[in-house]
Amino acid sequence: MLGNFIGVLFDGIAYGALLFVIAIGLSITLGLMNLINLAHGAFAMLGGYVTVLAMSRLGVPFYGALLAAFVIAGGMGGVLERVLYRRLYRRPPLDQVLFTIGLVFMAMATTTYFFGPSQQPVRVPEYLAGQVRVLGRDFGAYRLFLIAVVAAIVVGLTLLIEKTRIGAQVRAAVDNRVAAEGLGIDVDRVFTLTFMLGSALAGLGGGLAIDVLGLDPVFPLKYMVYFLLVVAVGGAGSIGGTLTAALMLGIFDIAGKYYVPSMGSFIIYFLLIVLLVLFPRGLAGRRG
Amino acid sequence: MADMLAVEHLVAGYGDARILEDVSFSLRAGESLALLGRNGVGKTTLIVSLMGIARRFAGSIAWHGKPLDAYRTHQRARAGLGWVPQERHVFPSLTVEEHLTVVARPGAWNLRRVYTQFPRLEERRANLGNQLSGGEQQMLAIGRALMTNPALLLLDEPMEGLAPIVVQELAAALRALVSTGEMAVIVCEQHARLALSMTGRALVLERGRVVHEGPSAALLADPARLAELVAVA
Repeated sequence: MLGNFIGVLFDGIAYGALLFVIAIGLSITLGLMNLINLAHGAFAMLGGYVTVLAMSRLGVPFYGALLAAFVIAGGMGGVLERVLYRRLYRRPPLDQVLFTIGLVFMAMATTTYFFGPSQQPVRVPEYLAGQVRVLGRDFGAYRLFLIAVVAAIVVGLTLLIEKTRIGAQVRAAVDNRVAAEGLGIDVDRVFTLTFMLGSALAGLGGGLAIDVLGLDPVFPLKYMVYFLLVVAVGGAGSIGGTLTAALMLGIFDIAGKYYVPSMGSFIIYFLLIVLLVLFPRGLAGRRG
Repeated sequence: MADMLAVEHLVAGYGDARILEDVSFSLRAGESLALLGRNGVGKTTLIVSLMGIARRFAGSIAWHGKPLDAYRTHQRARAGLGWVPQERHVFPSLTVEEHLTVVARPGAWNLRRVYTQFPRLEERRANLGNQLSGGEQQMLAIGRALMTNPALLLLDEPMEGLAPIVVQELAAALRALVSTGEMAVIVCEQHARLALSMTGRALVLERGRVVHEGPSAALLADPARLAELVAVA
């Protein structure tokens, strides 16, 4: 029983770590630009397909493919922010939701057209495919890898936001856009860079997710609710809040499906309701 | 010397509301101007018009001979307009020191000099913007604008809501700043005598129009005229 519990906890943390990588960009764009980007998962899907294609068609090794996913999803985010998303910042939420859900369907249709509706396989390196023995217990090597990657991302992001000048510019722009601009900060540029980073992380998350969540053209729709749950519970724009929420949801989802499979996803929706009643602005939210 | 700033027949406001009806004045490098008038005559509107935040209906604002319209707000700041907003607008999630470094541009003003001017800011360097007193916030707003090394410092009601002792301290600092002549200054102020005592020239607004322009010393020496222009009726 205890063994199961530790296994479930471990899988839940790995799953939550994955949700964090993908959802953190959504959280930042919502916190910074007040943009509800339902198409955020499409950047994760893009990263997934880049990873698969770079490996299968170009023979790029796994890590190189993940780097390509990060770069290409980030670049695509930059282009779309300049061309499309920028027009949405001052629009009402309904416009944002309708527009970005439209983007989701376009991304799904385009992906199906080119790559078909089936699941895409990924071959992770041998040493990540097996089990690792830690303290007399077996853990999935790939899930350990996921947790390590996310730990590094959390540290890196925190340093970027808290310790660098561009991070301070981001915080200033979130605090008070007018004052930031009035003192010479190019807030539009800050927004573009931030959006690119969020998209790039989603792309990386999409590549990392294939082995755990799978990858097919309905990916952005299938997991949209999870990403939104993470952001709603975590509070927009907060790294710590998003991480906490992602880990909680990951653990409770896995635990619920393991211990009370008949209830399916009910557990996390119940958790969501409880958390939002207790913390209506999210665990660390500064905005409603 | 050519004018650094030239405002001609400016009509400006917010949305559909016109606050400034017809304002013209000019300023040369290193000059200091007191911007006076009763509440609601458009002093702040004039300042934020210079920053490109209010809506311009007609007239022109030229900066070194070029129309400022072509500049977006952050470009105006980079071009040399140092804005100290009336609401101060400190950033709650930045430390005092970050406020100063995040907007810093190369020039005579740096962290060391701002801390020398406002020692209180150095003591509070690690505090967040929302942990400061009103006077400290005002010093921070001024220090922050100085870090952009402006050619023109725009002080919008710097003394508003401050305790008399803080006003004295801040006035001394501002007077020292203005007297160096290294940058031009526009001081918009309810305390008319204070603003006049630290500036060379004065501009008085009434219902969005200029009703008086002349040397600050002359206006300071004529209490009857000053009262007529700015005293609450």
